[in-house]
Amino acid sequence: MNGQYASLLVALPLISAFFVPLIKGLGGRAIKYYLTLITALQAGVAAWVFKTVYTTGKPIIVMAGGWRPPVGIDLYIGHFAALFVLIVALVSFFMAIFSFDSVSTEPTDKYAMLFLLLMLGATGMIATGDIFNLFVFMEITSITAYALTAYNKTGEAAEAAMKYIVLGGIGSSFFLIGITLIYGSTGTLNMAQLAQLAGSINPTVIKVGLSLLVFGLAVEAELFPLNAWAPDAYQAAPHPVTAMFSAFVVKAGLYALARLVYLFSHAAGWDFILKLLVIMATLTVFAAEFSALRQRDVKRMIAYSSISQVGLIALALSVGSQLGVQAGVFHMINHAVVKTLLFLTVGYVGVKVGGTGIENFSGLGRKMPLTAFALTVGALAAVGIPLFNIFWSKVWIIIASIEQGYAWEAGVVLAASVVEAVYYLRLIHTMWFGGWDGMRIRESLPLGTIALFLVLLILAIGVYPNPFWTLAKSAGTDIFNVSRYIANVPLMGVGP
Amino acid sequence: MSVPHIGLYYFGALSLVLVGIYGVLVKKNLLKILISLSIVETGVNLLLISVGYITGRSAPILSEGIGPKQAVDPIPQALVLTAIVIGVATTAMALSVAITLYEKYGTLNIEEIRRLRG
Amino acid sequence: MVSVLKRSLAIITLLIIGYWLAQGLAGVPFGQDRMLVGKYYLENVKAQTGAVNAVTAIVVNYRGFDTLGEVTVLFIASTGVGALLWRRKKRRTAKTEGSVVLRTGSELLFPFILMFGTYIFIHGHLTPGGGFPGGATIATAFLILYMAFVDYEIPHRLFEPLEGLAGMGYVLVGLIGLAIGSYFLFDWIWQTWHWGAANLGRLFSGGFIPIIYTLIGLKVGTELSGIVDSMLTEEVRE
Repeated sequence: MNGQYASLLVALPLISAFFVPLIKGLGGRAIKYYLTLITALQAGVAAWVFKTVYTTGKPIIVMAGGWRPPVGIDLYIGHFAALFVLIVALVSFFMAIFSFDSVSTEPTDKYAMLFLLLMLGATGMIATGDIFNLFVFMEITSITAYALTAYNKTGEAAEAAMKYIVLGGIGSSFFLIGITLIYGSTGTLNMAQLAQLAGSINPTVIKVGLSLLVFGLAVEAELFPLNAWAPDAYQAAPHPVTAMFSAFVVKAGLYALARLVYLFSHAAGWDFILKLLVIMATLTVFAAEFSALRQRDVKRMIAYSSISQVGLIALALSVGSQLGVQAGVFHMINHAVVKTLLFLTVGYVGVKVGGTGIENFSGLGRKMPLTAFALTVGALAAVGIPLFNIFWSKVWIIIASIEQGYAWEAGVVLAASVVEAVYYLRLIHTMWFGGWDGMRIRESLPLGTIALFLVLLILAIGVYPNPFWTLAKSAGTDIFNVSRYIANVPLMGVGP
Repeated sequence: MSVPHIGLYYFGALSLVLVGIYGVLVKKNLLKILISLSIVETGVNLLLISVGYITGRSAPILSEGIGPKQAVDPIPQALVLTAIVIGVATTAMALSVAITLYEKYGTLNIEEIRRLRG
Repeated sequence: MVSVLKRSLAIITLLIIGYWLAQGLAGVPFGQDRMLVGKYYLENVKAQTGAVNAVTAIVVNYRGFDTLGEVTVLFIASTGVGALLWRRKKRRTAKTEGSVVLRTGSELLFPFILMFGTYIFIHGHLTPGGGFPGGATIATAFLILYMAFVDYEIPHRLFEPLEGLAGMGYVLVGLIGLAIGSYFLFDWIWQTWHWGAANLGRLFSGGFIPIIYTLIGLKVGTELSGIVDSMLTEEVRE
């Protein structure tokens, strides 16, 4: 099959979302089945793309409209994008199944459309090869995220969404000014050509422009100080949406950040940007970990934990070496698996027991044994205990930072793990040794299967990390190796 | 520290951006904050347009005596079209969230909302 | 006191941001020719797309992917507004009818505004404008009706499916391009069939630009009227 068919990754969710108004008369349940079907199809397309990219070892370049870049917009589906597009589709599929139990607020048809478009936005952000197109997909992602945050229509949800909108609005304006500056000094918007021209840009312009881009993306990538919206939004959003935020929306932001920063690695003043990122990432880790300690609501606690892990990923990505980027990508994969599991189980408890406060988790080990078991595995993995997946990515982050002479970064990772251990062990203790009210709750079969699958995945990566590390290595190289990125894009000779 | 020299058009657009950010930082009424956000967006759009301007040239519609050498850069104009629509969408979303907030709390003052929530 | 402190902090932040941005902008002098890709567009737009308006050719054809995203963003807004302001039963709650001038004027002008909006989006490849301004003009016609009459509502049963169909139409045009020219959003009408090559600068030219702009115009018109409707109707409690 022709590589151009990878454009289905964008076309399929789009046309299916536009189709929903025509079938809204069928009722909520039918629409949820439809949602599951479409996400499954998307996962199929993504799996085909993944297989093609990893067997041929060459990225798929989708040229929209048949125009060669930089005249047209290209989608660059390399090793990173192929892997994460698959993760996006799979997580969406799982969460579509989870939506049957957890989303009862009307109107379901609008929920399904927004759900599909959130998936589309993240896919586009990961795949695009054009900086303005990245902005468009970022806006698709964030505007759907605003709507889904407020979807529950409670006061808290509306407030969280409002915070998100104001920060996101400022962020996107900064991002656009950054694009303006960079376009104004190069005359092109294509990422590969920008990377080619990076060395010749005026150093002040690149410094200002790139830091504006970083600030703009920091809203989506949940970096301090622009992540104030995240805990509220995570808590207020419907449970499947929270899992999607944590599993791939923030990853799309992080990827875009890393991609843009490394594209300009030949530009003067690049070290300045890396330093800025390291500071932002470290502050993110600390602010989030210490806030997590104080939380009484488990969903919010895991939200803070997710943000601090995101900080670790950003730290690894801003080390500035190939190993650092690879470790960051490995941590992204692990984080996606673990946080999907955690938000799935916590959300399920929230649905069945009636809330996500810590008191609802008391005696969960006997009330919902399967869920409690999965939640325990997820919590242990998040702490970074050996034989669980996150252990390995944390080890690689530490090695990468020591290798680059950032010994204190390793200290940050270790300190964060200690703090995490405190609150996750508190949760585990409450679940297994807390008082039990004698109730047993029947657990759903499909959700149990998904949870067990994720548990097995965590253990598999924990025991045999090598195949996954190889995967992360090729995906990380895809971000780090800019000259290969330029060589892979068939630029036509539009030049000075 | 030197004072950077920028053109008048840049200065105007930049001032709009700064006025908008000031509003977002200082105002307490939610609607005023949203209006300020729109002002920021307008400023950014003007900035984008003025980056594409080339002195002495005309709009990039290639008819009746306007050749490729007499037209300004068309790309920023195309980008601004997209950016405007995105701005409209954000504003519409924000307004509907504001309506929800007003229904729940009976006020649009952000300090009041924070206090009512406790 | 607090507010004085807050204001001065805000002004200091602004000064820093402003200085920083001005530093960057000083490196991009105003009014100079820095075109790179832009020059390519200007030189080839007529031959490659059949449109004389370079901006629309870029928006719809060269950078069509952006526009697909743009349409999606507006769709998200209308969906999101609909989701947030969803009520089991909704009704208009305006209290006063518009004045005689407004009522008569809106009824008289309604068809003409619709016609003008249609004119704008059909001529997108020739004149400034296109699907978005055209659609917005159409939505204005409905907005005026909302202002003039207390019980006016748009035909929901028609508008919502139309919105979806127009969006699907756009993606389908792109997919037909994928099937015929093996690229998504490929301009098959101009590049494969060469329709309208003799009409350059007149209505029947521009490849698929008029078709896409018609779809966008319908979509934007129904979408914006839908947003107006969601915001103007309120819940009925029984």
